[in-house]
Amino acid sequence: MRIVSGSAHSILASEIATILRVPFAPSDIHVFPDGEKRVRIDEKIVGENVVVVQPTSPPVDANCMELFFLLDAVKRSGAASICAVVPYIGYQRQDHVFVSGEAVSLSVVIKILESAGIDRVVCFDLHSIKIPQLFTTTSLSHLSALPLFAELIKKNKWMEESVLVSPDMGGIRRVKQLSRQLGNMPYASIEKNRDLTTGAVSADILHGEVAKRALIVDDIISSGRTVETAAALLKEKGVERIYVFATHPVFSNETPYVLQNAPVEKVFVTNTIAVPKEKQFGKLEVLSIAPLIAEELLKPATSN
Amino acid sequence: MTGRSNVLLAKQIGKLLKKKVHEPVSIFSDGEVRVRIAPNLRRRHVFIIQPTSFPVNDHLMELILMIDAARRASSSEIVAVIPYFGYSRQDRKEMPRVPISSSVVARCLEAVGVDRIMTVDIHSEQQQGFIKGAWDNLYGSYALIPALKKKHLKGIIVGSPDKGGVARATGYAKLLRADGIAIVYKERDVAINNSSETLEMVGEVKGRNVILVDDIIDTAGTITGASDFLKRRGAKQVIAAVTHGLFNGTSLERIEKSGIDKVIVTDTTALRDEVRKHPKVEMVSIAPLLAEAIRRVQTGESISSLIL
Repeated sequence: MRIVSGSAHSILASEIATILRVPFAPSDIHVFPDGEKRVRIDEKIVGENVVVVQPTSPPVDANCMELFFLLDAVKRSGAASICAVVPYIGYQRQDHVFVSGEAVSLSVVIKILESAGIDRVVCFDLHSIKIPQLFTTTSLSHLSALPLFAELIKKNKWMEESVLVSPDMGGIRRVKQLSRQLGNMPYASIEKNRDLTTGAVSADILHGEVAKRALIVDDIISSGRTVETAAALLKEKGVERIYVFATHPVFSNETPYVLQNAPVEKVFVTNTIAVPKEKQFGKLEVLSIAPLIAEELLKPATSN
Repeated sequence: MTGRSNVLLAKQIGKLLKKKVHEPVSIFSDGEVRVRIAPNLRRRHVFIIQPTSFPVNDHLMELILMIDAARRASSSEIVAVIPYFGYSRQDRKEMPRVPISSSVVARCLEAVGVDRIMTVDIHSEQQQGFIKGAWDNLYGSYALIPALKKKHLKGIIVGSPDKGGVARATGYAKLLRADGIAIVYKERDVAINNSSETLEMVGEVKGRNVILVDDIIDTAGTITGASDFLKRRGAKQVIAAVTHGLFNGTSLERIEKSGIDKVIVTDTTALRDEVRKHPKVEMVSIAPLLAEAIRRVQTGESISSLIL
């Protein structure tokens, strides 16, 4: 096995390589003055099972194209098999036509990935349960960070006088799942309404009982406004301490400020996406998914 | 319709064809592209005008998503008009374990369902074979030759700034009724990206007006190096005629300092204000060529008779 990494998250790639005890060297990626990238894989990979690690996080277009180029280079170099580890798949929130005349951007990304001739994709916590069926020719390993969160919640004994909260109705499946992993602890959901044109979010109704402690669970944090609104509502309902769990830190520039100042104790995310220094903040804690990926890579790929 | 790459060019083409140009692209806060096409496209022929110049990856993704949206909106034919085709210089495996990036780009467009690609002066014409569908490659000479003829130069020698451009130089020499051609040799070390060095030349340029022709002016190292070399060899005037003006890095400074007298480029890419206003830069529009080519694709007329 050989691990090849793009420039989006070479730390994660090297972590996976260390766990699996396989050699790892970052790829040679040059950016020309006009923004064109030229990728080159330094090590020989002919006959090897090659794993390409590249979340397509922001800057999403540049990271996507870089991934496609890496896969092409691997394919042309005679790899025995190709597995794309894309812990966070960009464009996954555009998974269907919301308003007529739109593109289904996620389907485009998947189509291009599959046309690159890969055998397997490993990813984490996709935004909707319908996304896996968009993969038609590759084996998909759809992993979840929820077991990591469950472990942490158990370790801290946060199941007592606690409630799991989904910040929107679409995430109810996620908190139910986590609840099951934690001996059916109670859960609730906030009804969030998003204006499709302005993107403005309002949260006003809470379905379910509150407790002294609330554990907000979501898949993606981007601006942090959803968490901020949910936390404010929970505080209003009498919750004392709030903890946040989310798989993908798709942070924008304002997110660290929004979350640090939100009425929450801690924000737990995973390293599906690299969080650069300037986007880290006091309340943030990053859990590693590298062991989960390494474990999955040792298993044979399953067919869809 | 057009993405955000060269709206001005798209609008000029629209004006020539008396067609409205739609702009369906917006951007989410995390940088993801959103495409939404408002008008009804059922059974319509759609022409998407989008050069994939800087920032190339974003402009590419806009193009790919526009094609997808047009496909889902039941348009009957989708033509991607890509006056400047980004990544076209990465068209071969020049060393082990590298991709053929230009092929990846073409196949991305094909994967989402483009019917036809239209380019201007693609870096190498073999790239048309990257896809199964139709690929019309037009020539910037359609716009550049008239601009050169207007200068009424006498004793023209057409020069190529490298070995690869000899065929292009020969073509221009014929069209301009030049006295001959000159070739400047260049050795490029692929290990050091984008650096170039002028070494030798064949041809005689003493006292002549040299028209240097090339497809792309990027950091302008090649063209200014060749110009200075030609001047040292006694050229009276050196005018560069280039299809794609990328003008990256310190290109304007280089042009300023070099012996080059004029750079004529087309607007296949959106030219920055400082480029447009530069005294040594002259721009001619590619819009008439593209408008005519689009019209002929639509009516089923020959395009080859348009090629200069």
